Amino acid sequence: MHLWQATVPFCLLAAAALPGAAAAAWGFTDATVAVQSKGAGVNGGFKEKLTASKPLSKPVSLLGADTLRVTLTAQEDSSPKRADQAFLLLKDAQTGLDISYPFNIKDNGKSRVELTQKDLPIQFLSLSGPVDAHVVIGGFGSSDAYDSSVFKLSIDRNPGEAVPTVETERYGKKPEIHHIFKDSASSPPIVITLAFVAMVGAAFPALAGLWLFLGANVNHLPSAFKSAPLSHAVFLGSLISFEGIFFLYYTSWNLFKVLPAMAVVGVIAFVSGSRALGEVQGRRLAGLR
Amino acid sequence: MRWCLALLICCFLAAVNALSSSGSRLLAILEDTEQKDLYSTLWADLEARGYDVSIESSKSEQLALFKLGERAYDHLLIFPPKSKGLGPSLTPKHIVDFMNKDGNILLALSGKSATSSAISSLLLELDIHLSNDRSQVVVDHFNYDTLSAAEKHDVLVLQRPGPLRSDVKAFFDGEGVLALPRVAPQTLGDSALLSPILKAPATAYSYNPKEGTPAPEDILATGSQLNIISAMQARNSARFTVLGSVESLEDKWFSASVKTPSGKKTPTVNREFAKQLTAWAFKETGVLKVDKVEHRLITEGAELNPSIYRIKNETIYSIEISEYVYDKWVPFELPGDDALQLEFTMLSPFHRLNLEPVERTDSSTVFSTQFVTPDQHGIFSFRVNYKRPFLTAIEEKLEVTNRHFAHDEYPRSWAITGGWVWIAGLWSVIGGFLAFVVVWLYSAPVADKLKKTQ
Repeated sequence: MHLWQATVPFCLLAAAALPGAAAAAWGFTDATVAVQSKGAGVNGGFKEKLTASKPLSKPVSLLGADTLRVTLTAQEDSSPKRADQAFLLLKDAQTGLDISYPFNIKDNGKSRVELTQKDLPIQFLSLSGPVDAHVVIGGFGSSDAYDSSVFKLSIDRNPGEAVPTVETERYGKKPEIHHIFKDSASSPPIVITLAFVAMVGAAFPALAGLWLFLGANVNHLPSAFKSAPLSHAVFLGSLISFEGIFFLYYTSWNLFKVLPAMAVVGVIAFVSGSRALGEVQGRRLAGLR
Repeated sequence: MRWCLALLICCFLAAVNALSSSGSRLLAILEDTEQKDLYSTLWADLEARGYDVSIESSKSEQLALFKLGERAYDHLLIFPPKSKGLGPSLTPKHIVDFMNKDGNILLALSGKSATSSAISSLLLELDIHLSNDRSQVVVDHFNYDTLSAAEKHDVLVLQRPGPLRSDVKAFFDGEGVLALPRVAPQTLGDSALLSPILKAPATAYSYNPKEGTPAPEDILATGSQLNIISAMQARNSARFTVLGSVESLEDKWFSASVKTPSGKKTPTVNREFAKQLTAWAFKETGVLKVDKVEHRLITEGAELNPSIYRIKNETIYSIEISEYVYDKWVPFELPGDDALQLEFTMLSPFHRLNLEPVERTDSSTVFSTQFVTPDQHGIFSFRVNYKRPFLTAIEEKLEVTNRHFAHDEYPRSWAITGGWVWIAGLWSVIGGFLAFVVVWLYSAPVADKLKKTQ
């Protein structure tokens, strides 16, 4: 098996070296590749000879308006002949693209193909590297067909010219999408907040100090409580209860708990308040305030 | 009672025979039923796989694809007719109707004679194109069988195709070579529903054997643009497969040996490939099924598939998928580069996430992912839209509401440090009010003091 495989290339080599000894083979001779720029003379531009055995070392550049021309003479067993198939095959190994351009072939084997960027499918225009240009010559019958890379074709564009792309819809995975959330609300630094809290908190002692400076006092408290102890205590208590209810509403209660409690405390405040204020009026009438 | 028993027996028989996921009634259309002996191995193989094969001539009077408005067959295998069309009961319209009702079709062509215009116009409906003269044959001077086509080079010898792309499952791959005699090439339009199964090699070309070598301007397509076998999977996942070489199904080629110019003599694997091809075409392979779809909040014991979520809820979504392989459901495995994706969409996707396989049961794989619902309220849907070449489509859509925060779900004001200043202000006003009340009620006048100072 291995021996057999090893002998195959040797046999092929031998067949190539000794035409006629084994199966006949297709090939070509007198081949040239030329690139003619628009406006350049008939013999202007790039021109190079091609050989069947070895590809050109440098890629051939084909710019936007240039015309690539390949001419050759097809041969079967070193004698010129019209081949059934004579193609210039462009192949890109990376993407697997391939396309053939048939040579215009005469009965004496003289063949010629011309190619501009307009003839190329749009997919070829956006390739990153040069493509392999093969010459394929073959025919019906038993002769071995020829297919080998003869040069590399670099499909170039003038800088600044947009590369045409083609959008085709194919079923496949799509790019992932992750929702970008809006920034959540943020608070200023805690130090600033605490400084302002301290300032707000300082307002109450400042007010109390000002009142004391102006002579505010609670000197009538004992006498008031002596004359109407219950109503004063209940009135003050109901005012504090109001604030307590507000506090509960703020932390946990809902409106339906708050309203009946407010109604009860409100009535108590009204009744006790009118008594307590009556006592205050009594003090005023007595000239004590 | 009796019909109950009959039904039971039927079910039992259906369970015994390994068969396609979408029915076993196969109709083969041969213009000349005398020719059916050429394909006896194919019939035997199909019957062994559980198909109920009926072979009819396209000229037959009683042939009908539909009975009382329903499909009379599940699958259709059409051999190339020599006459102009397939007869009044198989017009392109009937065949398209058959596909619209989920029927699968395998159409064989032959390069031996011109393809009939009815077939050509049917293929045109599907954006599969034949050459204008409909009588082209693919030849390749590099990959031909030297034993049977030493002169004409029209028996292609090719490897079985690998995966179409790196993210597509290969259903037709394997060792060995195929012999494809006298292939009628097809070119495909630019549609996502079409996929080539087997392409011609780069050095191949097609020509009309009656006209000799074509002029360069007559060549429509060369190389891999020529399709030997192509497939169209409709949106309802009904399959239409075109095989360019009907002869490759013949008994003769199932057991033939071939030799390429540079290779050695090898037996063909046409029989095995015919199994792969008919299995795919008649939905024995590449059929997906969704067993279960679940979504819920990530918290333990959350309600399954709720109809409402809140914005910024952490949710988990899972989908269970099985794949049918010849006679049973097996866990579905994603091809290498592919991804099963979940979209959370309202008009356009807000999230598109890859679902990862997390669990495997005997017959299915569970794919799952977690994500936070977007901060946008509205009617969203969990959507898995998995359409791939050679696999039946999965389209799962579950609608849910994504609501705002309720009034009692926001953070309380004391938890917001920025609000402390206002809270402090409020309580100092309350304290000030109470102090004022006390001072107003009980403060003795200081007028005496003022008088004294005066």
